Amino acid sequence: MREELVWLDDESARRVSAWQASLEFVGALGLLLFASGRTLLQGRVEGRETVHQMAFIGAASAPIVALTSAFTGAVVTLYSASLLTQAGGGSFVGGAISLAMTRELAPILTGIMVTARCGSAIAAQLGTMKITEQIDALRALAVSPIQYLVIPRVLAALIMFPLLCMIANFAGVLGGWIVANAFGITLNSYLQSIRLLTEPFDLIGGLIKTLAFALIVTLVSCQQGLGTRGGAAGVGHATTRAVVLSMVLIFAANYFLADLLFANR
Amino acid sequence: MNETPALETRQLVYAVENKTILKGIDLRVEYGEVLGIMGASGSGKTTLLKCLCGLIKPTAGEVWVEGVNIAPLSERERMPLRLRLGIVFQYAALFDFLTVYQNVAFGLERHRRLSQKQIREIVRERLAWVGLEGIENLYPSQLSGGMRKRVGLARALAMDPHIVLFDEPTSGLDPVNAYQIDRLITRLNRELNLTAVVVSHDVTSLMRTSDRIVMVDEGQIIAAGAPADIRASEHPKVQAFLRMASAEAL
Repeated sequence: MREELVWLDDESARRVSAWQASLEFVGALGLLLFASGRTLLQGRVEGRETVHQMAFIGAASAPIVALTSAFTGAVVTLYSASLLTQAGGGSFVGGAISLAMTRELAPILTGIMVTARCGSAIAAQLGTMKITEQIDALRALAVSPIQYLVIPRVLAALIMFPLLCMIANFAGVLGGWIVANAFGITLNSYLQSIRLLTEPFDLIGGLIKTLAFALIVTLVSCQQGLGTRGGAAGVGHATTRAVVLSMVLIFAANYFLADLLFANR
Repeated sequence: MNETPALETRQLVYAVENKTILKGIDLRVEYGEVLGIMGASGSGKTTLLKCLCGLIKPTAGEVWVEGVNIAPLSERERMPLRLRLGIVFQYAALFDFLTVYQNVAFGLERHRRLSQKQIREIVRERLAWVGLEGIENLYPSQLSGGMRKRVGLARALAMDPHIVLFDEPTSGLDPVNAYQIDRLITRLNRELNLTAVVVSHDVTSLMRTSDRIVMVDEGQIIAAGAPADIRASEHPKVQAFLRMASAEAL
């Protein structure tokens, strides 16, 4: 397997049809996944860079993930509490929110927010490195761009996404409770319905989803960045494609994972 | 003189998208010489340089680096061989998220078993060689174009390469900085017996630094020889290029 096939140099740039472009994308993503897996299995990990990326992807994303999750929990409660209290089911509001957050909203929000914040930054940074020959400089110094740039980002995302998802779960349920409280639902009743309706696997399943999202965001963003062609406009296109493709793939993967993990529960 | 050349290409061809960029280049670079490769933009000289260091895999032909044909090797197999070469990129290609110190120490930290003290010493020495001391903590964005190129050279020299490849070392520089870079190449060649390949369209600079010059046009070598031979060449394209370069210099 040729590592250089993961990205195409400027001279290989050509006009291709949408189908060819899609096939190229799938092929390049597959090669990148394969090369990353092989590098990881060989234990070649840049520890310092991985920690740096954990701070960037994880710690720095935590506030925005918490904030968006809290508002999402709040707005879902706004609708569900209004309906459920009218139907006499006010005591199920906490459970409904926690179920929605753990299975669906927290993993998706984590994926989307990190894509917007970090996926775009990864594609832009790697794209700029590509067009300014910094990727070639890495190779010239006998350092694999996959080892130095891709693996730390993938590893950092795999470690931090589940943690961010836990934060999103907590923030969403907290945001939900603040609104539920306004509807006269007590904390005791809110917590009791969470315990009644939510099972440990709901949380675990959501966390498993985030691992898939972590792979999607980092691999797509790295592939788009490393495949950047042209100048500043090329970086812009790569960044846009990284965000759009990551989000589309996250939603698609979410459906299949939901079917796989929760359809029979 | 060593019988094995420092670098050699045999019938080197590089083609992409039905366009042949290099059309059977035969080139030999001896140890200790400075070879200039001149040609107009798009003539294939940078592609030739990238083939020489293995950053581009040729379509056909052979590329010999210190007696090893790197053309059929995989990226992984070519990597350790690249450490024998230092490459100075056109716009320096410094890692913009690292300081000058981290840039110069980058290869040492990964490929040499050295203490931090030894690495510090090497970085300080290489920066001194290129006339840049005390800038270790600056980022590339805080440096001028000429300083960036010299840091790029210090980074390439940090690994003690036998051969250094320069891609347009003077492009974008004012005459004073360009002259400094030329002097640096000449000094390193004389003092360290460094083999250098300089790709440039700057004729004045190549005439100043090179022991031998080849002219590449449309992927082929159309003239080769000492600077005086090139100046005296009767090849119409060489003459036209030299006339244009003189006019541009004025």
